[in-house]
Amino acid sequence: MTLETEVQSLRQVPMFRDVDPARLKLLAFTSERVQFADGQRFFSQGDPSDSAYVILDGRASVLLNTPGGEIQVAELGSNALVGEMGILSDTPRSATIMAAEPTTALRIDKRVFLELLAQFPQMSLAIMRELAKRLERTNAQLVAQSSS
Amino acid sequence: MEKSLFRYIWTHSRRDQMIICAVVLASLPFYFMSLDLPRQIVNQAIQGEAFREGNPTAPFLNLSFDWPGWLGGGTWEIFEGFQVGRVGLLMGLSFIFLFFVIVNGAFKYWINVSKGVLGERMLRRMRFDLFAMVLRFTPDALRTVKSSETATIIKDEVEPIGGFIGDAFITPVFLGTQAITALVFIMVQNMWLGLIALSVIAVQFTIIPRLRRELLRLGKQRQLASRQLAGRIAEVLDGIEVVHVHNAYGWERAEIGHRLFNLFSIRLKIYNRKFFVKTLNNFLAQLTPFFFYAIGGYFALRGTLDIGQLVAVIAAYRELPPPLKELIDWDQQRLDVQVKYDQVTQHFAEDRLGPLIEMREAAEADQPLVGALVGEEIRVAGPHGDLILEGGAFAVELPGGAAASLLARILARRSLEFSGRIRIGERDLTQLPASVTGRRIAYAGVDPILFPGSIRDNLVYGLRSKPLGRMKEDRQEMDRRIAEALRTGNPIESISDQWVDYERLGAKDENELDRILLDLLDKVGMGDTIYLFGLAGRIDPERHASLAERLVEARHRLRDTFQSNGMADLVEPFDPTRYNSQATIAENLLFGVPISDEFRGRNLADNAQFRSAIDRAEMTDDLVHMGLQIAETMTEIFEGLPPGHSLFEQFSFIGADELTEFQAILRRRGRGEGTLRREDRTRLLSLPLAYIEARHRLGLLDEAMMGRIVEARGLVREVLEKAGSDGVEFYDPQGICTAAPLRDNLLFGRVSYQVANARARVGEAVAAVVRELDLQEEVDRVGLEYQVGTAGRLLSPQERASINLVRCLVKRPDILVIDGAFASFDEARSQQLMQLLLDMFDQQSLFMVLPNDRQAGDFDVQMRFRDGQIITDKTAAPASRPSKPEPDAPQRIAGEVA
Repeated sequence: MTLETEVQSLRQVPMFRDVDPARLKLLAFTSERVQFADGQRFFSQGDPSDSAYVILDGRASVLLNTPGGEIQVAELGSNALVGEMGILSDTPRSATIMAAEPTTALRIDKRVFLELLAQFPQMSLAIMRELAKRLERTNAQLVAQSSS
Repeated sequence: MEKSLFRYIWTHSRRDQMIICAVVLASLPFYFMSLDLPRQIVNQAIQGEAFREGNPTAPFLNLSFDWPGWLGGGTWEIFEGFQVGRVGLLMGLSFIFLFFVIVNGAFKYWINVSKGVLGERMLRRMRFDLFAMVLRFTPDALRTVKSSETATIIKDEVEPIGGFIGDAFITPVFLGTQAITALVFIMVQNMWLGLIALSVIAVQFTIIPRLRRELLRLGKQRQLASRQLAGRIAEVLDGIEVVHVHNAYGWERAEIGHRLFNLFSIRLKIYNRKFFVKTLNNFLAQLTPFFFYAIGGYFALRGTLDIGQLVAVIAAYRELPPPLKELIDWDQQRLDVQVKYDQVTQHFAEDRLGPLIEMREAAEADQPLVGALVGEEIRVAGPHGDLILEGGAFAVELPGGAAASLLARILARRSLEFSGRIRIGERDLTQLPASVTGRRIAYAGVDPILFPGSIRDNLVYGLRSKPLGRMKEDRQEMDRRIAEALRTGNPIESISDQWVDYERLGAKDENELDRILLDLLDKVGMGDTIYLFGLAGRIDPERHASLAERLVEARHRLRDTFQSNGMADLVEPFDPTRYNSQATIAENLLFGVPISDEFRGRNLADNAQFRSAIDRAEMTDDLVHMGLQIAETMTEIFEGLPPGHSLFEQFSFIGADELTEFQAILRRRGRGEGTLRREDRTRLLSLPLAYIEARHRLGLLDEAMMGRIVEARGLVREVLEKAGSDGVEFYDPQGICTAAPLRDNLLFGRVSYQVANARARVGEAVAAVVRELDLQEEVDRVGLEYQVGTAGRLLSPQERASINLVRCLVKRPDILVIDGAFASFDEARSQQLMQLLLDMFDQQSLFMVLPNDRQAGDFDVQMRFRDGQIITDKTAAPASRPSKPEPDAPQRIAGEVA
């Protein structure tokens, strides 16, 4: 797997869809490709947010701490972006991510990511657009829930 | 130092100067003879004057002296000589001439060497004297003395003075007598020509020095200006942070530019003047031959002067100008260095110096400093002469918040500007010799001052009070060293001697001292840092013999641990037969660690041996092709980032300023300009050398390529070894590589970039194995060799403060004064450290300036200051620690001092 395939994966992530290919290449190049063993944690809930991950290959579970122990709330597959909210809002991790099988991910460093955003407004715009869409979706879901 | 340079020279080199002078005088008769010979050869042998009356033979080696007419005339015959023929006389005289040439040459050689040696000795003495005075600068003087200016003075400014010293007395004697000899010779030949030469010389000697006076004034200006330039450059460098923060580049540039302009203007004036004087001097010197030719020729035509005489006079005159010129130069130099000397002595004026440091060993006074610490009527005057402190015992009155700190400095003898008395037991603190206070009092201030060198060097700095004379030194070499030192007023102690008295510290040898140091470092919380420094350090198989022996064993144990714990993929080992995808291509090609710079980084691409090896392996084209691919990718993805962006430095193969150059190379190639230029190929070749497949993931290496690189390894090694190059130390799975850090020697491989969290897990595994094999102390000892850099800049402030503290602790002082040494630690850490100190100083005294009241609890005596007065002086129940002397005195100043 090379930089090119990673760029292909990044392109599948909605947040990066509109970003210029050269920038995506820079993002991929400045990121690290890391492998997690089955059961190894990407990070744990409450950790400081220092990076985001794009899953290139494999699956990971999203776990939440509850009084009754950790429960799985979702599962992420290929091309999923995780941990980006934490680095944007500078808050601790809101959930635990654990590899559900041997998984390869692209680790995007927070500092590098923010510097790229600061440097290339077009990238920031693409991210904002995606965040706005998410907000819209959440609003729609709220409306749907309250009306039901 | 003596006020006058000549007195200084005379005091310290009288004997040598006189010996050389004597030899100079002894050489003169020979010089005179050699002047007379050409005339004899021409007149007597060639023109045949000696055979004028039809004599077939003439006397040779006839030693006689013709008294000049004005001394009554007549001949003084010493030896009548041999009778020889014409050719015999010519040959005989010529060989005598040759003999005198050799003798004169030998004299000159001896005199020059002796002068040089004398000058070097005096330079050494002078530099040492000046340095000794540097150590004596009073705190007051230190406020105005600039370190870089002082360094310039000792290094550069005294250099010409030293060069002059060898000439100070000898040159005028030597050249003066030479000139006088030549002049007398001319006089003897012809009175009038002699008088002409003399009068021109008189003119030269009156006018030229006058014209040069202005030069001296300018020279003085130049010396000051360049000294200040050196000072200014050092200031800017020391304060470079402020320059960056306030964007003062423009101002600093203009400032230095202005200074350089001034310097240039002064030098320009000097040049103009100097060459004018020189031209005039040359003209005057050439005026004499003019007179000789005109007037001497006239006499010769008239027949009152024979041609041989005229030739000899002109030959003698040719000998005259160089000594004269040099004599005038000497005079110039004399004034010049006198000016320099005056300026140097002004810098080290008596009123800026403290009393001579007493070197006497006050053995009877070197008792533990115990007893009550009492201050009586201490007064401190402010900088403007206003009285700011008065009162009885420990009544301190000061403006600002410095009262407690000032008291601490007085106790540590850092400040001597107070009146009153501080007694420890029966002894007056200020009267104790430095040898006692240096050993028994330790002071840790806000600013931890470290010297460049290893951590160990800095820690034992306070223990090096005197050498123990246990050095084994070559007898002859030692005698020579000591004799030279005595001759030049230098210290006779050698720094290769053992200066640290291990027994006094309760240690048997160096290793036990290391153990004590490590224990203290661990206690102040630097243990982990030292361990990490150790892992990053390099091993010296001689110094760390036991570690070196067990390193390979530890390496295997580590490998086994990885295998059995399922961590095998965390580290990719160096294997002579396999490509290591976690390492750079350069590392894979060399399979070793570069020792010399020409094999490091990009220089490798330029290294002829390396290039010839990869040429032979037919890899060059492939590597250049990879370089092209890398350059293409880099120029594509880093385009648009502003130069100097941190991402460049962190990630790019190509510096921001090189980007355009590589773009140009790519364009040239894109236009199909055939083969690449040689320097383009070298630049491209340098790119893939730093490429790590697992990290950079550009997909440049396939299995076949990796295989070829592994094959090329052997060739590279062969070529380098055949060329006798020792620029690379090759990896050996069964041996250690001294050029690589200890960590690499343990791992003997590279931590994987691809496995999440690999570095931390490997670090833990390494620590476990080190503990298991009981190597921790050895590793820590390597860590003690970590270089701290200029003023300790390679360390963090906390590390510097810790080392400063340990440096005080290892001395085991009777009194430890802590004045803001914890400033760089947070409160929790300083609380821990204070508790540690309180425990350690159960039997000794601890005097501490505290920033607040909360930490004061455990001290026996507490003093609080307000408006410079002590407001409380609480003494804890003496029953709790009866044996303890009292000065455990935390003082509160914050917020209460006016």
